[in-house]
Amino acid sequence: MNKEYQKKILVLALYAGEIMMKSGAEIYRVEDTIVRICKACKIPYVECFATGTGIFLSLDNGEPGDDMYTFLKRIDSTSIDLWKISEINSFSRKFSTTDLSVEAGLELLKKINARKTYHFPVKFMGACLIGSSFCLMFGGGISDCLGSLFSVAAAYSLSFLLDKFIFNNFIKIFLSCALATSIALLLNFTGLTSFIGPVIIGSVTIFLPGVAITNSARDLLSGEILAGIAGGTEAIISAVAIASGVGLILQLWHVLGGVL
Amino acid sequence: MMNYPLYLHFVFSLIGTLGFCILFHVPPRHMAQASIGGALGWITFVYFTSNGSSGIAACFLGACVISALAECFSRAGKEATALFIIPGIIPLVPGAPLYYTMRGLLDNDFDAAARLGTEALFMAGSIAIALLLVASITRILMVIIGGFQVKQ
Repeated sequence: MNKEYQKKILVLALYAGEIMMKSGAEIYRVEDTIVRICKACKIPYVECFATGTGIFLSLDNGEPGDDMYTFLKRIDSTSIDLWKISEINSFSRKFSTTDLSVEAGLELLKKINARKTYHFPVKFMGACLIGSSFCLMFGGGISDCLGSLFSVAAAYSLSFLLDKFIFNNFIKIFLSCALATSIALLLNFTGLTSFIGPVIIGSVTIFLPGVAITNSARDLLSGEILAGIAGGTEAIISAVAIASGVGLILQLWHVLGGVL
Repeated sequence: MMNYPLYLHFVFSLIGTLGFCILFHVPPRHMAQASIGGALGWITFVYFTSNGSSGIAACFLGACVISALAECFSRAGKEATALFIIPGIIPLVPGAPLYYTMRGLLDNDFDAAARLGTEALFMAGSIAIALLLVASITRILMVIIGGFQVKQ
């Protein structure tokens, strides 16, 4: 087995891991997929270590003349994309059961990575569905449901805009929740909605850290203590961002003499 | 606050989970399963809280339902479990206790804030424990079933 071939395998496995990690997969699943791809290429010694922000991978062929390869891949931003996770899942199964060549595998991965998520109007509609239905679930009436739809539409548009300019998740969530709360308060003040609570809860639901809680729980189960704790911290930071965004506006409203 | 019957809660959470399926880019062929799982988990939660059970226990049971359904769907379709759990679990994530904790803090009502804040924390914890439990049990079951297959 020559060096170039070994390097190609390394690139392929890391690329698959990178796509998974950026789509919000659990850490143990990323490591598992990388090791599986390398083993499918008949590499006997594979060690992989992944955290939420980077992947380390070492390959060794085990023969006396062979060099050991180690590579580090930094992961900067993540956005949830379950379609890609599902595709990589079936890719790794296909790669390890059939004799797909490394080049063909890389082509397939590039095709998977090029796939965009739904367009903004579709996602916007999804966010509106979430806002209105969660408002009803937490005890709002029909008018509150419409109010929540408005505030979630504004908050989601703002967060979409902020995504393009800043990378800080905390500020994005904080500002979007503050905007949603302001709109909810104004609607309540003009008498268009009857309950303030359900409207705010409905409109901040899209920022709740559900993925972080789920993934960190599943990582902890698999013995990935570091990734599990990191995920838990991420969830707490998101919750604090939501609470402070909502709280700041409510407090300002109170100070300015508004009635809650 | 309005009180809706269970079937309306089912419809609302179905729509809400569908919204999350769109945001998280779930493939259209799996959207129905993911939404139904999430909706069943939510009505489990509503049923138990409206019958006087604590939010924490209800959250645990709801998360168990979602996780168990997700394991079934993922084994049946050979897909990642995350596809069905992630959209479905979000209604149970304690957004409402978080909001009322904030309200308590702002109104200087620290008793309510401490009570609701603890509830929110434990609800998140109970979701995690439910997911761990169901996933571990499934793994044990799969090992047992796999062991039988190897022996044959």
